[in-house]
Amino acid sequence: MDISIEIQGLTKYYGKKKALSEVSLSIPQGMFGLLGPNGAGKTTLMKVLTTLLEKTDGKVTICGVPIENSRQIRKMTGYLPQDFSMYGNMNVYEALDYLAVLSGMSRSERKRKVPEMLEKVNLLEKQKIRVRSMSGGMKRRLGIAQAIIHDPRIIIVDEPTAGLDPEERVRFRNLLCEIAKDRIVLLSTHIVGDIEATCENIAVLNQGKICFDGQVSDLLSLVEGKVYSAEIETSDLEKIKQKYMVTGILVTGNTANIKIIADENPFTRAKQVRPDVEDAYMYLMHKG
Amino acid sequence: MFGTLFLKECRQVLKSLVYYIFLVAFVFSVNSQMSGESWKSLKEPQPGEVYYGRTITRDETLIMEGTLANLMQDVYRGSFATYPLGFYKKVALTEAERKKVEEILERCTGKSYEMLESERNRYFEIIEQQSTLEEVIAAETDYKVPVREGLTYEEFGIAMEEICNLVGKGSSYEKSKYENSIYVPMTYEGAKEEFAALCTKDLITRGYMRLFCDYAGIFLSILPIFVGVSGALRDKRAKVQQVIFSKPAPGMVIIGSRYLANLFMISIPVFVMAFLLQHPCYKMARSMGLQADFFAFLKVPCLWLLPEIMIVLALSFFITEFTDSILAVFVQTAWGIGSLFGADVLVGNFGLSLVARWNTFGQSMLYASLEKELLWNRGYYCLLAVVCILLTVIVYERKRQKGGAYGKVCKTGC
Amino acid sequence: MEKYVKLAVSFVKRQYYLHLLLLFLFVVFSGGFVSFKGLETEQAAKVMEMYVAFTGILLFTPLFMPEQDKEIWDLERSREMPMWKVYFLRFFLAFVVFLFVITLFFNFMIKGGSEFDLFILFRGTCCEILFLGSIGFFASAVTNQVVIGYMSAVIYYALNMGGGKYLGKFALFQMMQGEYGTWMYWLAGSVVLFVSGIIVRERMAVGSFRAAGFRPL
Repeated sequence: MDISIEIQGLTKYYGKKKALSEVSLSIPQGMFGLLGPNGAGKTTLMKVLTTLLEKTDGKVTICGVPIENSRQIRKMTGYLPQDFSMYGNMNVYEALDYLAVLSGMSRSERKRKVPEMLEKVNLLEKQKIRVRSMSGGMKRRLGIAQAIIHDPRIIIVDEPTAGLDPEERVRFRNLLCEIAKDRIVLLSTHIVGDIEATCENIAVLNQGKICFDGQVSDLLSLVEGKVYSAEIETSDLEKIKQKYMVTGILVTGNTANIKIIADENPFTRAKQVRPDVEDAYMYLMHKG
Repeated sequence: MFGTLFLKECRQVLKSLVYYIFLVAFVFSVNSQMSGESWKSLKEPQPGEVYYGRTITRDETLIMEGTLANLMQDVYRGSFATYPLGFYKKVALTEAERKKVEEILERCTGKSYEMLESERNRYFEIIEQQSTLEEVIAAETDYKVPVREGLTYEEFGIAMEEICNLVGKGSSYEKSKYENSIYVPMTYEGAKEEFAALCTKDLITRGYMRLFCDYAGIFLSILPIFVGVSGALRDKRAKVQQVIFSKPAPGMVIIGSRYLANLFMISIPVFVMAFLLQHPCYKMARSMGLQADFFAFLKVPCLWLLPEIMIVLALSFFITEFTDSILAVFVQTAWGIGSLFGADVLVGNFGLSLVARWNTFGQSMLYASLEKELLWNRGYYCLLAVVCILLTVIVYERKRQKGGAYGKVCKTGC
Repeated sequence: MEKYVKLAVSFVKRQYYLHLLLLFLFVVFSGGFVSFKGLETEQAAKVMEMYVAFTGILLFTPLFMPEQDKEIWDLERSREMPMWKVYFLRFFLAFVVFLFVITLFFNFMIKGGSEFDLFILFRGTCCEILFLGSIGFFASAVTNQVVIGYMSAVIYYALNMGGGKYLGKFALFQMMQGEYGTWMYWLAGSVVLFVSGIIVRERMAVGSFRAAGFRPL
């Protein structure tokens, strides 16, 4: 079966404000990262894909089904919104069961799948806890459980790791990778580390436009040979920041270890280093 | 999916504080109003009794005489009590307007106003000298102004319309009001006929349940608003709109199951209360050897109260979904209280009143003559409730496609 | 002083303006519902007790509206200014509007040639309407749900329509029956409810209620 998302010339206006401009993307099976600064249009794009917003123009198909067919699209997608929440007076089990009913699952299916999903997201032992007593990490795990419980072909997760502690974040990323085996997981974030650790394919969105679409290695190749590391006096820091794009600073006493992006070696003390996605992202943002 | 969701929504209602406040307020208020146990005085009328009660008269002459007596009293006092939108409004006429009213009185009675005034004064002087305060009040009710010979009911109707034009809306000179507010003492034959109708047509308990519906209907015009608003704002408060919007369940199923769950949960205490209050009346009727309708506690509230709960709840769902605010609380409380205060009479005259009044135990023959009007009234509200829910579903689906907002209509928050 | 003005303006601009708009309509259209002309003492009391009474519900119930959103509440709690000052400021604002509206209605009646003892009726009306408003205020303070605030006040009003026989000295609609002595009970009741409403909110804010297992509903 065709598992893909095809977006062609997608445009979305909020009144007179253009939130998405001629976005074209082809998203294949597996983890796909959508990177961009706050307000770039990531959430708008995700809401269009989950039929929560009507597009202004363009064509979108999910697994061959036009986005206009909202009922069918909702059946094959699972969505974890940025600020996932549930009724505070329900316990974990009740909340997941309630959302499973809304996903059209039968009683027997729910009886089997709800405990299975809770186990998968490590919430089985906490199934009696009320939603209002859950921590942010637990809520996100419940959120992902509800997004995948009806076995959707497409899972759309919006900023899933924001506000999580480092351990929860790693655990959550692993969980996403695990469930992306035979479907599309579209992950939107402005945290570059999440993309680096999980996605092979990414797109970078800025001011409603796609400014990069390809594999992580392609993104890295944009800054290959352009990232340098150097130890400088802290008093020179301001001068260097004005002249170059600084992507990292570690101050120790009077000296500072900096990481900069430059087309040529900025000064003799600087050593060329291997770029990471954050460097490439910064380069892209400032070049764009 | 619908059945499961319905049960889950019922559980959600059970977890809501608003529902428990509704429950306590409803039980307390209806119980305090129904404590009179009017059925205890139920007995077959015997010949030779002094008093058989009072009944609304359908006699045109008596209606005209009673209404003209009221008019005479108002002109004499110099002010008219009106209830344009439920609240008391005193209307004082100008000298020219007063002259016109006096002319109308003269036209209807064939006597000059001065003569009418002196007759009135004589009537009340005699009573005030010889009677207690209660008797004076009763005498005021019995005060009649005889009509001119040959005055037709149509002519009288036209005259009263002229009065209405002068004093404004909501006076006691509107046709619906004066035709249902002139009481006369019942005769033995009348009382016997009334008792027979209560036993055969109403099977006792149906008559009693109508009185229950009168009291319960007052509170049910307001209380369900809060349950509805709170239920409709639940998703917004819990910030779960986006998740629920993204699920494949149709809006009709989501809204429909919520609406029916709220309707069901509100109806349960109504029927339970009806049953508990009906039970002693049923037992007494049976002990008297009379036939009584055991299922009246279901039948009568289903006709009188269910459509009322349906429309109050449906409208609160619609306004809340449309505005994403608590606006329904203000609009519908005004409607409920307005409907209550604006009732022309306490028995009958249903029209399109939200609260169908029947503040009496019995009056079975009068009810039989008005049943069709009630059916139209309740049918209309049932239909309106269905329309409101369909509109709510449309609004809900629009919001689903528009990212959660249906436009900025009075966002007072929740 | 400036910060208090800013706080009040922000509250009106974000939450309260629609309630004030409704109140404005309530005053403007009052002439269509009730008459202010030629009223005697008890008729004037009836207008005040049965119609103008809604002013109290409308003005004092929604004062905790912004904090219904827990995030806003948490943010406000983290500020230097104690929450009771914020609540008191809102109450003061509502109280000023309330006095203005009541005075306006009395003015309508006096201009309409109504005759009554101004001091006694004004005192009783203020206390009664404040008391009805304080019920909504307290209920929404404790439950953190404005809907429940309105519900409680409206239920109290409705219970009194049926005679209010169980409500003793706190029953409404006394003045229109010629009883003017219960103003002290209304005043005491409203002071207790307003003050305890703010205290409960303050306790909820410092967390002692939450620690004891209490949760805003």
